[in-house]
Amino acid sequence: MMIIMHPGAPREQIDAVIAEIEKHKLSSHPIFGVEQTIIGAVGDGHYVAKEIFEALPGVLSVQRISQPYKLASRQFHEQDSVFQLDGFTVGGTEVPIIAGPCSVESREQILEIAQAVKEAGANALRGGVFKPRTSPYAFQGLGEEGLEYMAEAREKTGLPIVVEVMAVSQIAMMEKYVDVFQLGARNMQNFNLLRAIGETRTPVLFKRGMSATIEEMLMASEYIISGGNTRVMLCERGIRTFETATRNTTDINAIPVLKKLTHLPVIIDPSHSTGDSAYVSAIAKAGVAAGADGVIVEVHNDPAHAISDGKQSLTPEAFARMVKQVKAVAEAVDRRLVPQHVTA
Amino acid sequence: MIIMKANATPQEVEAVIAQIKSMGLAVHLSQGVEATIIGAIGETHSIPTERFEGLDGVDIVQRITQPYKLASRQFHPDDSIISLDGFNVGGNQIAVIAGPCSVESRSQIIETAIAVKEAGASALRGGVFKPRTSPYSFQGLGEEGLELLAEAREKTGLPIVVEIMSQVQVDVMVKYVDVLQVGARNMQNFNLLRAIGETRTAVLLKRGLSATIEELLMSAEYILAGGNQRVMLCERGIRTFETSTRNTTDINAIPVLKNLTHLPVILDPSHSTGHADYVAAIARAGIAAGADGLIIEVHPDPAKAVSDGKQSLKPEKFAELVKQVGQIAQIMGRGLASVQGEYSPLKQGWA
Repeated sequence: MMIIMHPGAPREQIDAVIAEIEKHKLSSHPIFGVEQTIIGAVGDGHYVAKEIFEALPGVLSVQRISQPYKLASRQFHEQDSVFQLDGFTVGGTEVPIIAGPCSVESREQILEIAQAVKEAGANALRGGVFKPRTSPYAFQGLGEEGLEYMAEAREKTGLPIVVEVMAVSQIAMMEKYVDVFQLGARNMQNFNLLRAIGETRTPVLFKRGMSATIEEMLMASEYIISGGNTRVMLCERGIRTFETATRNTTDINAIPVLKKLTHLPVIIDPSHSTGDSAYVSAIAKAGVAAGADGVIVEVHNDPAHAISDGKQSLTPEAFARMVKQVKAVAEAVDRRLVPQHVTA
Repeated sequence: MIIMKANATPQEVEAVIAQIKSMGLAVHLSQGVEATIIGAIGETHSIPTERFEGLDGVDIVQRITQPYKLASRQFHPDDSIISLDGFNVGGNQIAVIAGPCSVESRSQIIETAIAVKEAGASALRGGVFKPRTSPYSFQGLGEEGLELLAEAREKTGLPIVVEIMSQVQVDVMVKYVDVLQVGARNMQNFNLLRAIGETRTAVLLKRGLSATIEELLMSAEYILAGGNQRVMLCERGIRTFETSTRNTTDINAIPVLKNLTHLPVILDPSHSTGHADYVAAIARAGIAAGADGLIIEVHPDPAKAVSDGKQSLKPEKFAELVKQVGQIAQIMGRGLASVQGEYSPLKQGWA
């Protein structure tokens, strides 16, 4: 950490900052310039909040030199994290594709889509049963009944299931059913939920908040990892910008930036990041070309009648075309799709 | 489509209808239980929505058709293919424009031109008038720089892409350059756009830092309306809250633009990331998303570049990028453009 003092800050203020640094078992390195004094704080400072120094009299600004997260950082874990899910690995050479509807709507709907996405090349099934809808009057999901249907779909297809968890109170019940917890964008900084997920050993698909910086995302993932749950996949799902031609703006830069900063696998969600089925395939390809480790896509057997996210859902046929194109891109960047899943 | 307020009077509705008719448009009235909606049908792209927003009783005016016409795919369903000397942009060929941010010296630009050509570039970029954020930064070599670029073109056969900053530069620039670049900061310099519209020199129009896709297309319309059809659009990153990169590459803009317009779409991963480490990944992403070309900053010695050193690639890194992009282009059913034939100073053009 580097603490920059106001021009002309008196010696007592500088000494107070130095005392504070030493209190945190860090060593201090003051540089006395002509106009300004800069004080370096050296040591393992990732757990020391910079706000402590910002509040001291005479301090102009505080800059972090090392990253404020540790377990998520590539500095402390140089190799890519690769972990096993049912039938495939994430974070290695294989590029898994997770597909399914936004919401589980009925038993027939989820069983039909599960079969269709499996045939088209999906490796895992998504489907929401607790839905964080913008409007409190919109469909809120089938709850545990939906989980039963998802479990049945898994049994029939062999695809592991990815389901969003919205509250700490849902964890114990959901753990019995799901293979991967999805942590939604709106909950990215729900720190109680993050801590509770960190205590489980269920893998997590961790979505970036709509207005969260990459650093904030890594800090939030640190909450889960520090609880001992190391199987976290990060997901870029578009950020909020001034552009209105698409639902969100895919921050494609986030893919190589995250691959550089962290060892965790990075997944792209082109359905939410564009909000329009016409653009999903192009952005899925772009994501894999940029180095993403996987893709999560919304697929619905009848998008026009979907209860939620119909506009951004692909038909099973369009999804099958997308998988073919993504496969070609993956091979062009020396990766490969997961070989077709064998039914359990 | 004009949506009236819930409490609009019949007289206010009549006034809107009269206004629509006075513009030679047809009226389509639908009176609902809570709101009245009036459709204005006909050639509306030249009529500003403000003409109706100011009328009493009007709640919202929504455009159904696009406010641009010449740039729109609705009126020109086929891709525009722009021929530059030696290759085409907008068809099956992927153009790769490369070079330094600024022309700094004769040796720098000629060395870079040869290096990027060997690595597979199809055109040379280099700024001679620089829109620097600080008025105290290097502002470019001016016409001397153009002479050096022309010499680089003669030696390599690469057409040259140079930024124009002001109308007063048009006459001198068109004598030298193959493509006029309109920078992000000038995307809505409408006098400059009109002046460029009167030339017949190809244009690379960069998206403004905070411009929407629709605003970019409206700016292209200024140039097209002047009769200059050879416009390429360029996504170069937008301003967002994210600070880990210089800008945020709006990768969505690539398929959105390809859907809305027939004009070629070029991606600038150097500016859209601001960091050499990320340029190749985003270049690949752009081509995978359907971009028609790339523009990339390359410098023989990035650490000593007078501008944009942090985002400039060394020629060796650029050569690697070209290889990777070529592989993506191939699976997209496309190939990299390459300059055909030799430059002939006598004919002032390429064989």
